Amino acid sequence: MKNITIIAALAATLGLSTAASAAELVFTSWGGTTQDVQKAAWADKFTEKTGTAVVQDGPTDYGKIKAMVEAAGVTWDVVDVEGDYAVQAGKAGLLEKLDFSVIDKTKLDPRFVTDYSVGSFYYSFVIGCNKDAVSACPKTWADLFDTAKFPGKRTFYKWSAPGVIEAALLADGVAADKLYPLDLDRAFKKLDTIKADIVWWSGGAQSQQLLASAEAPFGSFWNGRLTALAATGVTVETSWDQNITAADALVVPKGAKNKDEAMKFIALATSAEAQAEMAKGTGYAPINVGSPALMDADVAKTLPDQQTASQVNADMGYWAENRDAIGERWYAWQAK
Amino acid sequence: MATLTDPGGIAGTVKPRIVRQYNFAQTVPALALILLFFVLPVLALLLRSVLEPQPGFGNYAALLGSTTYLKIFLNTFVVSALVTAVSLAIGFPVAWALAIMPSRLSSVVFAILLLSMWTNLLTRTYAWMVLLQRTGVINKTLMGLGLIDQPLPLVNNLVGVTIGMTYIMLPFIILPLYGVIRRIDPAILQAAALCGATRFQALTRILIPLAAPGMVSGALMVFVMSLGYFVTPALLGGTANMMLAELIAQFVQSLVNWGMGGAAALILLVVTLTLYAVQLRLFGPARMGGH
Repeated sequence: MKNITIIAALAATLGLSTAASAAELVFTSWGGTTQDVQKAAWADKFTEKTGTAVVQDGPTDYGKIKAMVEAAGVTWDVVDVEGDYAVQAGKAGLLEKLDFSVIDKTKLDPRFVTDYSVGSFYYSFVIGCNKDAVSACPKTWADLFDTAKFPGKRTFYKWSAPGVIEAALLADGVAADKLYPLDLDRAFKKLDTIKADIVWWSGGAQSQQLLASAEAPFGSFWNGRLTALAATGVTVETSWDQNITAADALVVPKGAKNKDEAMKFIALATSAEAQAEMAKGTGYAPINVGSPALMDADVAKTLPDQQTASQVNADMGYWAENRDAIGERWYAWQAK
Repeated sequence: MATLTDPGGIAGTVKPRIVRQYNFAQTVPALALILLFFVLPVLALLLRSVLEPQPGFGNYAALLGSTTYLKIFLNTFVVSALVTAVSLAIGFPVAWALAIMPSRLSSVVFAILLLSMWTNLLTRTYAWMVLLQRTGVINKTLMGLGLIDQPLPLVNNLVGVTIGMTYIMLPFIILPLYGVIRRIDPAILQAAALCGATRFQALTRILIPLAAPGMVSGALMVFVMSLGYFVTPALLGGTANMMLAELIAQFVQSLVNWGMGGAAALILLVVTLTLYAVQLRLFGPARMGGH
């Protein structure tokens, strides 16, 4: 995959690109099924419309973005990043300001718009359970943290990111509107109680494997991965109780070579149609408020934007501010 | 770089001066490439370890002053040592068997060994994950046979890392050992038997001492390679078994703290180079790789 990208990039620099127009754009995301859909719903449409070829690269790597910007050799034009990283990197001067004369932000969910980024899609951490493997499924975060009532392994997202700490605090009885600033001491104390029973997943595919094989019959998952797993015939039960939302964002690294094209790409990717296509393909929610109207009602109601009853929004501003400090503590705690 | 200055190694056997100049001229492009694309970037990263966020040795103090990070250092050594010991224990009999096998059979075993080396590392690691997990083939079989009631914890812990890494390292110890054992004259073992040595004595007093250079050199190679291992411990180990390479990746990619990443990388580099120097000292460049 990486080799293909390199060959494509080489071919392009040597002028061998077969695209009708010489212009091209590099789009970087996290790989897997999500990027497949991003390619189909956004990149292919963009090439169709503008004649600009879109080269897919990945996975997203914050170290690489920093290296490219510092070395003034930016080869990525549009990058799919986590929302809190977008806020932090914008402040750190690693990103281009977005051109909102090209990107229409009036229809975009304002929760996911900053000067430097717009939402890419948004997802929820939900409680997933393999119904065939256990007699009862945990319904709430408190259940998931209750090893007496629900014995066995449970799986959580391995990396320091919005989601697990919030879940621990909610499980410990913190009210959803009192989550921030996060009480890290309390969260880690709660996490300590189940640490021996946690199996970490580091990527979406691994989370699916763990649940399907019942290696960890329940845990916290990206909702889209559960939708995809259910479609393969696994009996998955999803609890949306206090689902925790977080969003990915689209950004343009500072000094990107095809900045103007990048703005046009983002404009298309965040349009109502493209966001609707993306949501259909992934099970994640669109960030364009015009998208649900373009979708099947049956599909639309399974998405995070319809599960607002007890929804908790992870505070991207707080995370951007404290990302490094929480990260260091998180990894130190894991390694203990 | 140390391999260039060859104190009485292979160069000593042929006209030394000519050989050296000849070798050097040919290595210039490769050396330039390594200097430009490897040595300089590494130096740049290492410089950051004393410059970011403030100039000084703050990163090193933070790394060596924290029990968490010290635990990761210790864990790196424990895992590497364990993998080396198990590789040696399994690799020695295999290398011996290979050496005395009819060549038709041994070429099949070699093919199996090499095939495993040529298979993608991630694929092999995921395969182990599927085999070893609680609901995996091994545990299901053992439980089906009634040998155990509860699944054995074989993955996401030290056991998983050791199994996965040993599997990957085995060829690196078997190949040099095979080279050494092959060169042992079978007549020596026959002589030992004629002189009344038991099989065990022949093993401990003849074969092992004669194979010792190959064992030490293979073991050092496995140990050094294990120190920097990343994918396998990340996938088969739990977070409590984190190794140094994973910590470095975390600093560089997730936390984007290149000062700390550089410091951790330098520590790993120093340890590795020291061990490499020991290996060179003991065996010289001519003996590396089992030839």
